[in-house]
Amino acid sequence: MLLGGTITTPPASLRLRSNLNPQNAVAPSSQAAFPRQPPSYSITDEDLQSRGFLLRRTPEGLNLDQLNSVFVAVGFPRRDTAKIEVALQHTDAMLWVECEKTRRPVAFARATGDGVFNAIIWDVVVDPSFQSLGLGKAVMERLIEDLQRKGICNIALYSEPRVLGFYRPLGFVSDPDGIRGMVFVRKQRNKK
Amino acid sequence: MTRAKAAMEGVKLKHLPSLISTLKSQPQNQNMLRIPTSSSSSTSSLLPQASFNSNSFSSNQSLFLSNYAIPHGSRKLKTLRLRANFWESIRSGFVKNNNTTQIVEPPSTIDNEEDTEPLLPVEFTLVEKTLQDGLIEEIIFSSGGEIDVYDLQTLCDKVGWPRRPLSKLAAALKNSYMVATLHSVLKSSPSDSDLSEGDNDQQKQQKKLIGMARATSDHAFNATIWDVLVDPEYQGQGLGKALVEKLVRALLQKDIGNISLFADSQVVDFYQNLGFEADPEGIKGMFWYPK
Repeated sequence: MLLGGTITTPPASLRLRSNLNPQNAVAPSSQAAFPRQPPSYSITDEDLQSRGFLLRRTPEGLNLDQLNSVFVAVGFPRRDTAKIEVALQHTDAMLWVECEKTRRPVAFARATGDGVFNAIIWDVVVDPSFQSLGLGKAVMERLIEDLQRKGICNIALYSEPRVLGFYRPLGFVSDPDGIRGMVFVRKQRNKK
Repeated sequence: MTRAKAAMEGVKLKHLPSLISTLKSQPQNQNMLRIPTSSSSSTSSLLPQASFNSNSFSSNQSLFLSNYAIPHGSRKLKTLRLRANFWESIRSGFVKNNNTTQIVEPPSTIDNEEDTEPLLPVEFTLVEKTLQDGLIEEIIFSSGGEIDVYDLQTLCDKVGWPRRPLSKLAAALKNSYMVATLHSVLKSSPSDSDLSEGDNDQQKQQKKLIGMARATSDHAFNATIWDVLVDPEYQGQGLGKALVEKLVRALLQKDIGNISLFADSQVVDFYQNLGFEADPEGIKGMFWYPK
């Protein structure tokens, strides 16, 4: 790949406005040159800490078997922890909440992508015993903020129908402009 | 799919010109198209003709998989055997789960047809045709990710996408798990073996980027396809379909269980025909503050 030479950087509004891929068009204020103001979270870091919850952004100290248990508890498949480790190594950003008392993960979310344009958030989970405390929201707000700070404007995810109401207040819109999330289904191909 | 709409503008899947106007004498099945290997691609390329014939494609998706002729020759058989072992090793590492709401499918759901699929070579010739002036044009698929970011910028301009900074484009490509490309190579002589060094140089100059698709991934569970585009001059020939199909195949062979994408409304059918399902089990794609 060659770099160098003149690199055209169109004004933010021109680049973001697009007839073709509306999901890349975001309010110009969130584009590069991020103004450094303290983010307004629903729950502050201090508040969380005072309740015994620690925010973590790296896989350090994260017990993958315990994470797996949280996955299973919310209905995800139990996965090979070696694969989880690989996945975490190739993750753009992650956030998890550690219960200070037990040292166990009680909330988790991660995002993959190309690091500049697009990011997809996966595996958003909160241990059922710790739900409805605002932990999921806390994780999501910070993950989005972290992605934004990297300059990523296109943040997407796939939501199960029963949690659409969780993502909407966070600012997520389903099928904007008729864009549909699609998944490859092997069985379909072989049926015909 | 972020840009698929622009890429597929003008795609006419109803009628497809016969791409393969001349072929060297090779044994052919009714559904098989054997492309002679050129010096640029080291492995043979077997492609069902169905990939460029919309009629048969839409009526029988499994043509891609089930009608692969088992290649003769020990080299190919070795590849197949390698494939079977690969699957066994993956299967044993997976723990099944009976939960019905999950998207990620363990490889055990793949049926036998796919198990015997030959490993997809990194680079191979998709199409070869003779042009009026005697030149041979080869369309070469590659999942090796060798792409010149300036060429990509030019291609994006051609399909009318808004410009993105080259440095960011380069970074996005570098951070992508897989970048699949289509290049058009013009050759003056039909014979591979007759090519001299000089002709090879000639070939390189005539290599043109005409399509691209890329996928990001966590290298373990999920991959998402972005930026599928085909040069408007080459649209309508089934190249977009081939591009995505091969990319998907390459991802599957890396044991990525979940392959997803976002499709503009106009191209949802295009991806459905390739085996993608919209909103599976009601799962919705959502975007953070679009527009």
